[in-house]
Amino acid sequence: TMSISVSAQEFDLKTYWSTLIKEVNSKLEEAIPVKYPEEIYKAMRYSVLAQGAKRAPPVMCVAACELFDGSRIAAFPTACALEMVHAASLIHDDLPCMDDDPSRRGQPSNHTVFGVDMAILAGDALFPLGFQHIVSHTPPELVTETRLLQVVAEIARTVGSTGMAAGQFLDLEGGPNSISFVEEKKFGEMGGCSAVCGGLLGGASDEEINRLRKYGRAVGILYHVVDGVLEAKMQIVRNDKKKKGKSYVEAYGVEKAMEVAEELRAEAKRELEGFEKYGDKVNPLYSFVDYAVDRGFTMG
Amino acid sequence: IQNEEKAHTKFNFEEYMFEKADSVNKALDEAVMLREPLKIHEAMRYSLLAGGKRVRPMLCLAACELVGGKESVAMPASCAVEMIHTMSLIHDDLPCMDNDDLRRGKPTNHKVYGEDTAVLAGDALLAFAFEHVATATKGVSPERVVRVVGELARVIGSQGLVAGQVVDLSSEGLSDLGLDHLEFIHLHKTAVLLEGSVVMGAVLGGGSDDQVDKLRKFARCIGLLFQVVDDILDVTKSSEELGKTAGKDLVADKATYPKLLGLDKSRDYAQKLMRDALIQLDEFDQEKAAPLIALANFIAYRDN
Repeated sequence: TMSISVSAQEFDLKTYWSTLIKEVNSKLEEAIPVKYPEEIYKAMRYSVLAQGAKRAPPVMCVAACELFDGSRIAAFPTACALEMVHAASLIHDDLPCMDDDPSRRGQPSNHTVFGVDMAILAGDALFPLGFQHIVSHTPPELVTETRLLQVVAEIARTVGSTGMAAGQFLDLEGGPNSISFVEEKKFGEMGGCSAVCGGLLGGASDEEINRLRKYGRAVGILYHVVDGVLEAKMQIVRNDKKKKGKSYVEAYGVEKAMEVAEELRAEAKRELEGFEKYGDKVNPLYSFVDYAVDRGFTMG
Repeated sequence: IQNEEKAHTKFNFEEYMFEKADSVNKALDEAVMLREPLKIHEAMRYSLLAGGKRVRPMLCLAACELVGGKESVAMPASCAVEMIHTMSLIHDDLPCMDNDDLRRGKPTNHKVYGEDTAVLAGDALLAFAFEHVATATKGVSPERVVRVVGELARVIGSQGLVAGQVVDLSSEGLSDLGLDHLEFIHLHKTAVLLEGSVVMGAVLGGGSDDQVDKLRKFARCIGLLFQVVDDILDVTKSSEELGKTAGKDLVADKATYPKLLGLDKSRDYAQKLMRDALIQLDEFDQEKAAPLIALANFIAYRDN
């Protein structure tokens, strides 16, 4: 593992990531032009094109695709779709009848600007736009239709009633062991899905897909747990009223949260050991894991 | 439209509708299983299995069979269009939208499960519609299934159902709405999903581009017809007969065909749409087209 962590450090994640952010942003910009009825497009664009978005799901998707020598061009439409469905989930999570959160990433949340009705509809429109974008923009010569359908099913399952919607539901309603369940569903699912989609588009085998899912889940949860630790250390007060005391850190404390983070880091890296035969190409995936904990630079 | 011939004697439409609705209901019941978290799946099933007429799934199945496909090939897609229809009703009924307490004679989803669960149940049905089409469709090339995913996405999104609802919401209380504007709302709120249902069925059944195109035009007319009839019924029938609040459009001062054209001209327009629709079916085997023709008649002559 020593040699791996050295080469991972040599990998320039900051450049890789920021280059991808620029590309994904410009593709998203093109994917949601303002048409009639303009109000809905403005609402959709407001959340998807928000300043400072880290685009972690797209970056994870592209990196997983490139691990198998898949073309970036094959991964971009799905990468954009991940941002669209993710934004849709967040818009709905912020609604007054849900988390009642007036802001998101330091900006007023969608319903604060466009009204609750338009925010619901913006989410409703972004989910299908994601799927439409995948099937209409993925070059057929690069990805088979069978793989494309697997990608569609993967994303649909991830945002659905056993995935992120289940996470949000239990976050609101509570239940036994709900904190780890909610972390898993709301943050793990998206990470796993992003990595799996990249693998599907790049031509990964079933076994590799399984590894990518476990890896992505671990990284997704890891990010969120460490975010909580950093917020606690900076004593940032969360303003989503209904969620107080429900994050991992708030429930178990910083020390226990860091233990969990280290376990997740080890778990994610264990899955990556299965990709040894791809040599240096696995480095971006290693660097995400370390970045999630160390935060060596600011992204987005 | 009272005087047009209703006779398609060889084909027993009531029996056909009963059988199709039954197989669609069974397929829906199996597709959305009760699992954890229970409440969200209960909410999904509450609205999905509330006993609608299943017009959209039937159009999808009938179009598939018209071009020579088996019913089973289009069953997942026909369930998907019903899931989409249901999710749009759940969200449209919310207090921040149309604020409806009753739907199909029962309390609306948010009245039973709360607004938060209603929003999530709608989102989950939307997502599941895609998952179901992508994973459960069998016996057809993946290329055709991909086309169906694209069509499904188009009819729901910001150029489909959502566009209709957006323009509808922003038109409330405007008294000088023109016919074009009204038509935009209805084409998007209603016609687009009926159109999509027929197109998906035709694509899955193996229809040629020309056949798919003709059926698309057929369905667009039928979709608009559906809404014209709906508007007429809102003026002429009681709440009890409709199973929903009658006269609601008038009270809300919504633009409707009877309001803009008068009742007689609205009926004339319905007849014209019916003729335009049926012309599209001329080149198909008339015996095989009987279910679609009967469905069109059902939409035109229904009384709720």
